Amino acid sequence: MSSLNTNVRPQMPLRQKDFDQQTILQRTTCYKHEIWGDLQEGIEQVYKRQHMEKKRYMDLYTHVYNYCTSVHHQSAASSAGGRVPNNNGGRNAFVGGGKKQAGHVQGGAQLVGLELYKRLKEFLRLYLVNLLQNGAELMGEDVLAFYTKQWEEYQFSSRVLNGVCAYLNRHWVKRECEEGRKVGIYEIYQLALVTWRDHLFQRLNKQVTNAVLKLIERERNGETINTRLVSGVINCYVALGLNEDEAAARGQNLLVYKDTFEAVFLEDTERFYTRESTDFLRNNPVTEYMIKAEQRLQEEQRRVQVYLHETTMERLAKTCDRVLIEKHLEIFHAEFQKLLDGEKNGDLGRMYGLVARIPDGLCELRRLLEHHIHAQGLQAIDKCGDAAHSDPKVYVSTILEVHKKYNALVLIAFNNDSGFVAALDKACGRFINSNAVTKAANSSSKSPELLAKYCDLLLKKSSKNPEEAELEDTLNQVMVVFKYIEDKDVFQKFYSKMLAKRLVQHMSASDDAEASMISKLKQACGFEYTSKLQRMFQDIGVSKDLNENFRKHMSNSCEQPLHIDFSIQVLSSGSWPFQQSSSFQLPTELERSVHRFTTFYSSQHSGRKLNWLYNMSKGELVTNCFKNRYTLQASTFQMAVLLQYNDNTAWTVSQLEQHTGIKGDFLIQVLQILLKAKLLICQDDESELSESSVVELFVGYKNKKLRVNINIPLKTELKVEQEATHKHIEEDRKMLIQAAIVRIMKTRKTLKHQHLVVEVLNQLSSRFKPRVPVIKKCIDILIEKEYLERTEGEKDTYSYLA
Amino acid sequence: MPNIKLQSSDSEIFTVDVEIAKCSVTIKTMLEDLGMEDDEEEVVPLPNVNSAILKKVIQWATYHKDDPPLPEDDENKEKRTDDISSWDADFLKVDQGTLFELILAANYLDIKGLLDVTCKTVANMIKGKTPEEIRKTFNIKNDFTAAEEDQVRKENEWCEEK
Repeated sequence: MSSLNTNVRPQMPLRQKDFDQQTILQRTTCYKHEIWGDLQEGIEQVYKRQHMEKKRYMDLYTHVYNYCTSVHHQSAASSAGGRVPNNNGGRNAFVGGGKKQAGHVQGGAQLVGLELYKRLKEFLRLYLVNLLQNGAELMGEDVLAFYTKQWEEYQFSSRVLNGVCAYLNRHWVKRECEEGRKVGIYEIYQLALVTWRDHLFQRLNKQVTNAVLKLIERERNGETINTRLVSGVINCYVALGLNEDEAAARGQNLLVYKDTFEAVFLEDTERFYTRESTDFLRNNPVTEYMIKAEQRLQEEQRRVQVYLHETTMERLAKTCDRVLIEKHLEIFHAEFQKLLDGEKNGDLGRMYGLVARIPDGLCELRRLLEHHIHAQGLQAIDKCGDAAHSDPKVYVSTILEVHKKYNALVLIAFNNDSGFVAALDKACGRFINSNAVTKAANSSSKSPELLAKYCDLLLKKSSKNPEEAELEDTLNQVMVVFKYIEDKDVFQKFYSKMLAKRLVQHMSASDDAEASMISKLKQACGFEYTSKLQRMFQDIGVSKDLNENFRKHMSNSCEQPLHIDFSIQVLSSGSWPFQQSSSFQLPTELERSVHRFTTFYSSQHSGRKLNWLYNMSKGELVTNCFKNRYTLQASTFQMAVLLQYNDNTAWTVSQLEQHTGIKGDFLIQVLQILLKAKLLICQDDESELSESSVVELFVGYKNKKLRVNINIPLKTELKVEQEATHKHIEEDRKMLIQAAIVRIMKTRKTLKHQHLVVEVLNQLSSRFKPRVPVIKKCIDILIEKEYLERTEGEKDTYSYLA
Repeated sequence: MPNIKLQSSDSEIFTVDVEIAKCSVTIKTMLEDLGMEDDEEEVVPLPNVNSAILKKVIQWATYHKDDPPLPEDDENKEKRTDDISSWDADFLKVDQGTLFELILAANYLDIKGLLDVTCKTVANMIKGKTPEEIRKTFNIKNDFTAAEEDQVRKENEWCEEK
């Protein structure tokens, strides 16, 4: 023991009964008094912000240490062998040994710590009470300057004090807080803050806050202010928000800032902008106001960044949004239509940016936009007049122009906002599927028909075929419109018809373009949608090989050669939209070729049946009867008729009908074209041919060209074809609907009528919009076919019959 | 690397790398509070540490200067006393008086790592010993009466190993 300096050090729990208790007590009291005297002087030095040497700092620290550790003399005096002073912190194994330790939690360490703590607290209180006298009467910027300066210095000094008192913090304060015995014990720095709050802030905060608000208002009015005055006060308010529930009060809860400043600030803001925005709108156009509002919002955002607390950002923004935008929404809506009409995209973008800040604020704008685009689309199509009905190109490009314009608007001004994209889509869907053209045709399937025709124009060989890249681009555009088409099945029908013709007649401009378009459709509608198109494509490829093989076969064969060029295309009947031709008797000149091929084909594929599509076939005739040797490109029917004139130069219509097997009215159409081409002549007028009319070969036929194409499609044929297409669509739809119903019922077993209809609509919406009466009819058909039955005893319910 | 001059209670001056001196939170806080003025000549007095002990403390801090920072004390974590590194164990093979003075110095200078390891060493000196053996180890006179001792033993019966 004797090796330790017992005056200043805590020591091991050794028994100390042998000390003279009275003497020790006196000595410590005296000693502490001495320490405090010098310590207080040092702290005053700290709060006067005088220069401090390291030595002095260490002295003060040592004073605190010695003051705190002077305890054991006391505890030794009052109770034999107290616990080890201070350095246990719950960490070391030094506790124990003294016999009465358990009953003496409130040892001398606590007392001496509290004593020092109270002295420090009183010092701080006196310092601040003094300080307040200098500031109590100040107003405006003066009070801010005073408050912020004093606060900064006080903070600095308190930090140093906290360092000097580290030992007290580390042991006495820590244990007090951990044991939770006393409320209102803080680390010394926190104590300094609390003391400031209770003695300076409480007295000055009203005038300080007011001065800050005045300063901010001046800045809003365009003056330059000293923002450091504001940020100084704000920092102080934030720092004073001590979370006193937490031990040592280290956390901040911003209560002081929120209560004393933020609430009033927001009220002030609301008042200021309510007045300003109303005044401004009264005297300026809305477009100007929007610029102003945008600017104000930015300013307020900057304000938070520069000198307020970040948590104010959200509430301030909400307040500004409410006052600057939400309150004037009606004015905005009225202006929106005007801006759309005037195509003021910049202003539209600005308005979007502002209104987007208001929850649900955009709904009305979306509605207006949809309405506007729809109206614009209808108007554009109206304007084209008749051209739109007959010229697919005009129709499609009119639609595309509208779409492009508003797509760009949505993309740029409305930030491609999904709600606005939806509005655009909805509007386009509406005007594309129902407009002047579809109304005139009395069918929504006019749009897909025209679109398919436009595709045909693009893909068919012609002098105006665009470059490959341009074509690809245009096809992409077509897909834009296609997306909006409701009756995609109609498009498919027309498209496959025209594709078939292009392929059979070798009129396709580019295989790549065809394939690319098919893959686009496949991407949009799935494999099933394009499977027939793809098979058609394949058939053409297979036919090429087939012709090759046939030619080889012929040259190897010992039979007599055919003497005519002959090529065929074998088309699988399910995939191609062609119908069997009407009755016809093949001219003898061609019979042998057909026969030879049929034999060849069935030798390769047994069990396949070939049907000849004479109406799709064509050939070339070389004339020997005219002055010049002409080559006539003709349809099979034309050939059959013309070949008759090898035997005789004049035939009656009924004779021709008998020899060719072509039905009367159809034959007359064939003849009309030949008469018009001046290959044949007749005494009777073209339009009044009868069975007995005599038709002669016109030997004086003349043409500038030596190759003449007389193969012009028959008018009635075209018309019949189109009608048939539409009729087929109806039939196909019924099948699709029935298939859908069966699919649904098979999984659901029983289902209410309403639900069934909804599901059918759902399943088929990607193809077309089934009409409800048709669905009903299909259900009836299926009940009749015994796929379904009405569930007994339950209204409007069907069950599936396996 | 700047240095700092530390002065022991018996006026011996040690020149130490600042980073090593900052092992002591007390010195670290002081430097932060007063600002890192480049006055290397200014001596920092440590009136509660004598030169022998200060030398040991500096030796310990130099060895441990690159240690990772100690984890926060976790109340729920079991405290161990058998995790003293072999260097520390060798370093602490000193007489009891020196050991206790090191504890005081670590506490005064706020060097948590050193305080931990020294206290653990003392704990190990107590562990597994009977009261009588402990008294002998630390040279403590038994001032309990027999009755008092019985009383204490009874009160603490629950924690005895069976």
